[in-house]
Amino acid sequence: MKLFLQEQISLFVLNVLQLSFIILLLWLDGFHELQKLVYPIFFSFFLLLLYLCYRYLTNRTFYERLSTPVQSINTFNRKVQSSPLSQSLGKLLKDQSERYRKELQSYKDQLDQHIQFINQWVHQMKTPLAVIDLILQNLQNKEAGEISYELDRLKKGLDLVLYTSRLSVFDRDFFVEKLNLESIVRTVTSDLKRLFIRKKLFPQFQLEPSLTVTSDEKWLSFVVMQIVINSVRYSPKDSKILFRSFHRGKTTVLEVIDSGVGIPASDLPRVFDAHFTGQNGRNFHESTGMGLFLVQKICQNLSHQVEIKSIVSKGTTVRISF
Amino acid sequence: MTFKVFIVEDDEMLLSLLEKFLQKYGFETFCVKNFDQLLIDFRSFQPHLVLLDINLPKYDGYEWCKQMRNISKCPIIFISARDSKMDQVMALEYGADDFITKPFDYEITLAKIKSHLRRAYGTYSALSHQRIIELDGLQLNLDRLTLTWKSNTVELRNTEAKILDLCMKQIDCIVSRDQLLENIWDDQAFVDENTLNVYIRRVRNKLDQLHLNGALQTIRGEGYRLTPIWREII
Repeated sequence: MKLFLQEQISLFVLNVLQLSFIILLLWLDGFHELQKLVYPIFFSFFLLLLYLCYRYLTNRTFYERLSTPVQSINTFNRKVQSSPLSQSLGKLLKDQSERYRKELQSYKDQLDQHIQFINQWVHQMKTPLAVIDLILQNLQNKEAGEISYELDRLKKGLDLVLYTSRLSVFDRDFFVEKLNLESIVRTVTSDLKRLFIRKKLFPQFQLEPSLTVTSDEKWLSFVVMQIVINSVRYSPKDSKILFRSFHRGKTTVLEVIDSGVGIPASDLPRVFDAHFTGQNGRNFHESTGMGLFLVQKICQNLSHQVEIKSIVSKGTTVRISF
Repeated sequence: MTFKVFIVEDDEMLLSLLEKFLQKYGFETFCVKNFDQLLIDFRSFQPHLVLLDINLPKYDGYEWCKQMRNISKCPIIFISARDSKMDQVMALEYGADDFITKPFDYEITLAKIKSHLRRAYGTYSALSHQRIIELDGLQLNLDRLTLTWKSNTVELRNTEAKILDLCMKQIDCIVSRDQLLENIWDDQAFVDENTLNVYIRRVRNKLDQLHLNGALQTIRGEGYRLTPIWREII
């Protein structure tokens, strides 16, 4: 409405000027009975008012659309009235939205293809890893042990790539069920046993055996694994990594507590940023900076909360609330 | 009775490793080389169990599974790198009985095969081949969990058997503590440096019971070594 009125001000002013001019001419011509003019003036304004009403009603959507901010792509597909301005704007917006939709679709297709390629590639890479693993299982000597350790690193690296690419299409492989928290943690620590042994660290469990959470097994295991890999990486030899789980009111909580180098307070607010490695990254040269970013994104998708507390040289606690 | 296993996998190296492994445990194997002939070979070999990969030439594993199911009800185990829940559910929907993800463990694979054979064909003690390691008269039976020498037998706990298995496979060589830890680490057991010490002590006790005192030596800073002292004893 406001836009409409603003626009019509000039028409209104023109009308007033026109009338004034006609009255002036008549006056100069000798016509002095102004009372007779009241009715025509009134009538003229009445006509103007009718016209304005008609204008407004036939172009209402047009003005509305111009005054409301764009919320989404679908704003472009509302119904249009039959007045020429409305129709033109409608067509213009529709054309624009089609064009953008096509471009968006082509990017979506590219993304899909890319993800498919990554999936195929990672799975193909796992076959030679399986072959090497089997050969090493037959060897069972010191060198085989060292190669096994590096093989684990390769496998974890591949998993990192796989999960990162799956993150953008999270809802395609997402299966929620009731899971036993203790068994998830134990399976993850068991998968990482070579890492623990190599770094001379051991897990300590204070887990309530009956605690269950509602989540997706693969994604949750991946999250816990990333957290544990971090803890192990930054902990000194012969220390322990403590796993605690408990109820807190309505929520179930899992904590992973290490006594490692800790995270400086200045870095703490940014640890969940992608590609952020901070002081520790610079000192330890091992980080991609993606671990905690993935942890947070996945937890968001699963509706879990993740928090991190840390004191330099004392240790770090990562807490997941379900 | 010898059980027959039909292996469908297109990676040659993996195929040969699996074949060697299964043959070692007394299975008769058939490895598919020509995928055009697959069903013909399947029909003539009449396997008791099938190991099937998913990523295959011509058709994928799911399709082969469906076709094999039309012919036989034998257990089919999928082996694949694909580990998403959807893949596993699909495998089971297509008629498979189990799913193993790559990379996989020999022991777990063997255990699964045995369990499915047992379920499909009755008792598996019909399996002619038990897991036995024999070295100059010292016999370790991994299925019965016993250690025998000169007609004396001691019973072993699972972990003790694992330690002896590792040491006997590397007889007279040093087995590192790290290797032992990795081997005895188990989802359920609480494992740390001290646990290993406790188990080593237990193994030594068992060896003592067989009058083989001192066979398991500690090598400072490296690990342990099982020396075949029983070769000298008459």
